[in-house]
Amino acid sequence: MSWEFIANQFAAQFGLWWVIVPGILLGIVVGILPGFSPQNTLIMLLPLTLAIPVEQAFAFMVSLYCANHLAGGVPAILVKIPGSGGAAATTLDGYPMTQKGQAQQAIVLSFTASVIGGLITTLATLALLPWLSQIGLYLRSVEMVVVMLFGLTLIAVIAAKDTLKGMISGFFGLLIGVIGTDHIYNAPRATFGFLELYDGVPLVAALIGLFAVSEALVMIEEKMIVATEGRERAMRASWADTLEGLRLTVQKWWHIVWTSFVGLFIGIIPGAGASIAAFVAYQQSRMWSKHPELYGTGIPEGVIAPEAANNGVTSGTLVPMMALGVPGGTTAAVMMIVLQYHGMVMGPRLFTNNPELAYGVFVAMAVAYIFMIFTILPLARYMARIVLIETTYLAPIIILVTVVAAFAERQYLFDMALALVFGVIGYIAHKTNYHVTAMLIGIILGPLFEQYLVRALRISQGDITVLFSSTLGNVLWGFLVLSLALPILKRYFSRS
Amino acid sequence: MKPGAPLGADLAIPVLAVGFAAYFFWSITDLAWEAKANGVIVGTALVVLAAIQIVRIAVKVAKGEGSLATDALWQPGDVLGKRIGMVLVTVAFIALLQVLGLTLALFLAMAAALVIMGVRSLAMVLGISGAVAVAAYILFIAVLDSAFPHGLIEKLLA
Repeated sequence: MSWEFIANQFAAQFGLWWVIVPGILLGIVVGILPGFSPQNTLIMLLPLTLAIPVEQAFAFMVSLYCANHLAGGVPAILVKIPGSGGAAATTLDGYPMTQKGQAQQAIVLSFTASVIGGLITTLATLALLPWLSQIGLYLRSVEMVVVMLFGLTLIAVIAAKDTLKGMISGFFGLLIGVIGTDHIYNAPRATFGFLELYDGVPLVAALIGLFAVSEALVMIEEKMIVATEGRERAMRASWADTLEGLRLTVQKWWHIVWTSFVGLFIGIIPGAGASIAAFVAYQQSRMWSKHPELYGTGIPEGVIAPEAANNGVTSGTLVPMMALGVPGGTTAAVMMIVLQYHGMVMGPRLFTNNPELAYGVFVAMAVAYIFMIFTILPLARYMARIVLIETTYLAPIIILVTVVAAFAERQYLFDMALALVFGVIGYIAHKTNYHVTAMLIGIILGPLFEQYLVRALRISQGDITVLFSSTLGNVLWGFLVLSLALPILKRYFSRS
Repeated sequence: MKPGAPLGADLAIPVLAVGFAAYFFWSITDLAWEAKANGVIVGTALVVLAAIQIVRIAVKVAKGEGSLATDALWQPGDVLGKRIGMVLVTVAFIALLQVLGLTLALFLAMAAALVIMGVRSLAMVLGISGAVAVAAYILFIAVLDSAFPHGLIEKLLA
């Protein structure tokens, strides 16, 4: 792979701007609206992507995918409703920034961290592709079980003020995630007699209920989302606030770089995905910070870390798909279907037989991120205005429109009712400080966790000690125990 | 913690979790071990965690540091009516969707929700409800052609 080859690839991808810009705009809309996932949108657009040449189809899909990851942070910051699971961690500091009247800076930070993080990791992936693709090979089912438990524990420790409440939320979510038929015998479990639950709990209904509906039920206690003291500042917001966001980006550039690499490495692990990456990056950012106590109160680093990581995942997810033929997530799986339809064979041969496509995908991603900064940054000022709408109007719109959006994933009225049920559970959790984010991540990980756990147990013929049989797995168990013990030890030593 | 702090609401999620775990265990009784292994492991961990929380609260109540009042769920009292109203409107919206179709059901539900929230200007109620219903029609019916139930308006505009 020569520099000339890469330069030609960039020139070719810039020539596809007419495919990339619509992909970005659609991705932004899909990312902002909870209920519209990139995979569902790509599935709906399959007739289009299968009909056009594969290079154009891939440029379109990749642009939509990256823009979706970027835009998911917007509702997370403005109304505490993540557009996707990957933006759940952004609510932790993004929403408090909004409440302080700094919504515009938070959105600009989210955009710049996403774009820079996505761009850097994409370029790094291009350079390191042959080596990065090997990482996924070292993680077998045992290690994946521990990785997921580790992710869930981190979320409980980070997000919840009370670790026990966080753990209860996480495991409650994990058990809800197991509802439906099992992978081997198709036997239904805990479906309450509903056929609609045989495929498992629909994630969009859970996301909408736990975040949107419950948050709207809580927000009606106040006149506006913005706290009284931040209201005047939000009303005075101008282009200067966009520039302030850009200044903060320049000031925190190193933070963006290293947290985006956290996302890249986690993205390479099949199934781990943006949700875990964003939380791990947030936790690492807090752990290495000089002022960890400020996290959760609305600080720029708390927005940068999850957003940079969430976009670092985008290129990472495609690595196992391109190099091994193992899609790192659902969106990657849809992309793989399109590639296979066009006769492409995934795996190491793709890089020798079809280097224009193999490397072109990542170049398209880099070009999409470059286009994105010019497309979306000017919109931050206008997006931030939404927080000035009174909750009297905002709450009914959020509840009814998002409940309608719950229908989008599977087109069942049942899912709308389920979103309302999750809304009530989420409301109780909100009011009693059981963290809904941990619950949602548990629901997302539930089916995958079961798949890996049962695979590990089948290999060992039911012997549960298999979970402690690998060196890498045991190291991860050690980290898991440490992450639980450290806050307790810290409290003990600070008291003494 | 203040003496007599209401801790009853903190029991809601653990009780729900234990109840769900019990139902889960019952539903997997007759299944093969592969189908129940994960549920048993996760469910047991959940029950243990919930039990610790229940014991923790019980100890606090026994020491007089808290009570079993559930104030956190209902406070502030002045918005409780609005909250229940919003849930009931949503239930009615989902129930009537099949009969009225998306556009009309959403328009009526939005109007009712705005009135419950205290909006008294007829122009605002009709304007916002109309705008939301039209946007939903354009996006879900006209553009995406989703399988939402069609009612009077959808049939007229078809």
